[in-house]
Amino acid sequence: MLATDPHLFRLPGDGEDRPRLLGSYSAEAGLHFWPRRKRCPVTRTPVEDVEFGPVGTLYAWTFLHVPRMGKVSFGDTGGYAVGQVDLPEGVRVQAPLMGSQHDWSIGDEMALTLFPVGTDDDGNELVTFRFEVVR
Amino acid sequence: MSSTLSRRVFVVGVGMHPFGNEGIPATDMGYVAGVAALDDAGIDFPEVGALYNGYIGGGITAGVHLAKDLGLTGLPVTHVENASATGSSAFGEAVHAVAGGRVDVAMALGFDDMNRMGGLGRSGKRGLGAEDVMLPAAFFAMWATRRMHEAGTSIETFAAIAAKNWNHARENPMAQRRVDHEMTVEEILASTMISYPHTSKMACAAGGGGAAAIVASEDVARRLGGPMIEVVASQQRSETYTDGHVFLGAVIGPAQMTRDTAADAYEQAGLGPRDLDLVQVHDAFPIEELVYYELLGICGDGEGDKLVASGETSLGGRIPFSTDGGLTARGHPGGPTGLAQIHETVLQLRGGAGPRQVEGARTGLCHMAGAGSVCVVHILQRT
Repeated sequence: MLATDPHLFRLPGDGEDRPRLLGSYSAEAGLHFWPRRKRCPVTRTPVEDVEFGPVGTLYAWTFLHVPRMGKVSFGDTGGYAVGQVDLPEGVRVQAPLMGSQHDWSIGDEMALTLFPVGTDDDGNELVTFRFEVVR
Repeated sequence: MSSTLSRRVFVVGVGMHPFGNEGIPATDMGYVAGVAALDDAGIDFPEVGALYNGYIGGGITAGVHLAKDLGLTGLPVTHVENASATGSSAFGEAVHAVAGGRVDVAMALGFDDMNRMGGLGRSGKRGLGAEDVMLPAAFFAMWATRRMHEAGTSIETFAAIAAKNWNHARENPMAQRRVDHEMTVEEILASTMISYPHTSKMACAAGGGGAAAIVASEDVARRLGGPMIEVVASQQRSETYTDGHVFLGAVIGPAQMTRDTAADAYEQAGLGPRDLDLVQVHDAFPIEELVYYELLGICGDGEGDKLVASGETSLGGRIPFSTDGGLTARGHPGGPTGLAQIHETVLQLRGGAGPRQVEGARTGLCHMAGAGSVCVVHILQRT
């Protein structure tokens, strides 16, 4: 199993059941960022690599029925949901959500999960990350 | 951070090719717009000292090739690209080229066809990763659901903004979406759901088009003898850090970016929101226009819903927004969009907007946001 975007997240490690997001911390600014920054965008000082997650709070969401402003249809797949999730470190993450719009409300607790998106040319399973409601 | 103009700059000519889905090559529409602007100004192309082409979807040499159709004068030609704000940025570059003394006359020329464009949400083989599924439609829809949660905004309010802009476009021969009947909230709501809560008739019209503006020094403008439409503010910003900053995906920056850019523009012009007679904004989706009422200081935070309901942002109201139909109905080809705003504002300030005319219009503001993200604000005034 391979991550589609290994610069954005990593697969669950030993003893973990959920993926982790890969970000940065600026000690000078006391701020966390996602995805990783080359240096602190506020103080221009060095940042250190950190991991976030896997749980946050839903800040906003939508269900995308027809992307590209009506020019392209998902056909039978029915679309997908997208949300902004606030992590405890003060980071807001935009990512797809699992499920339909009846499954969540703003303020709900959301957790990272993996989502299969096919295989690469060598037959390896590719996975991306999404958030799902924690029940 | 804000910019200044070292000498006065005036818009002396504007031109457009109608926006639409006619399949005409974008550069042909750009040519028509450019010649129309030259004719409007009453000058020949050799007098243009610099050309700033705004396009997103053209090839790397599209701008200089288009310049060859206008004339082999040897002038400097520069490609400007800033997503949706491309045309606005090209206009800003032309303004600053004149203000800074580089040239006495400069042209900004936008041409594009949104339907023939790659980019966000259109990646081919990949299309699987996290960055491929965060489309502009989703981003603005999340603004909308958060607004509904925080302020109790109704879907009908979004539909009312869209219907207003469709109805403004009915009187605009350059608009892509022109209906033969009064557009209603009900018809907007009944159209296909794109990204909750936005329907297809709330989403901007994606098509092709061309638009151009020619700016000049005061001496040239007075010699040409037309109405004196001055660029009293030209400001552009990118993001500063704010709480909840989003770095990844289709992003139109934090709200603070529009507030800051507008503040720079008001300061530069020595004007405030109450001095404006009309406003054009990046209304790719109605949540944007609603939020920009507040970020541009037209009303207080949280008061935008009431402003729409009162009709004050409609033609005939206190401060009409998107008088030509906006991105919603005039259309949003890409590069020309910001220049169409300049075209509309100049027509209004000259008193030449026909059935759309804002009575006594003297001062107009044009705002564009571009993914990435950037914000551009210009204020034009009849002097």
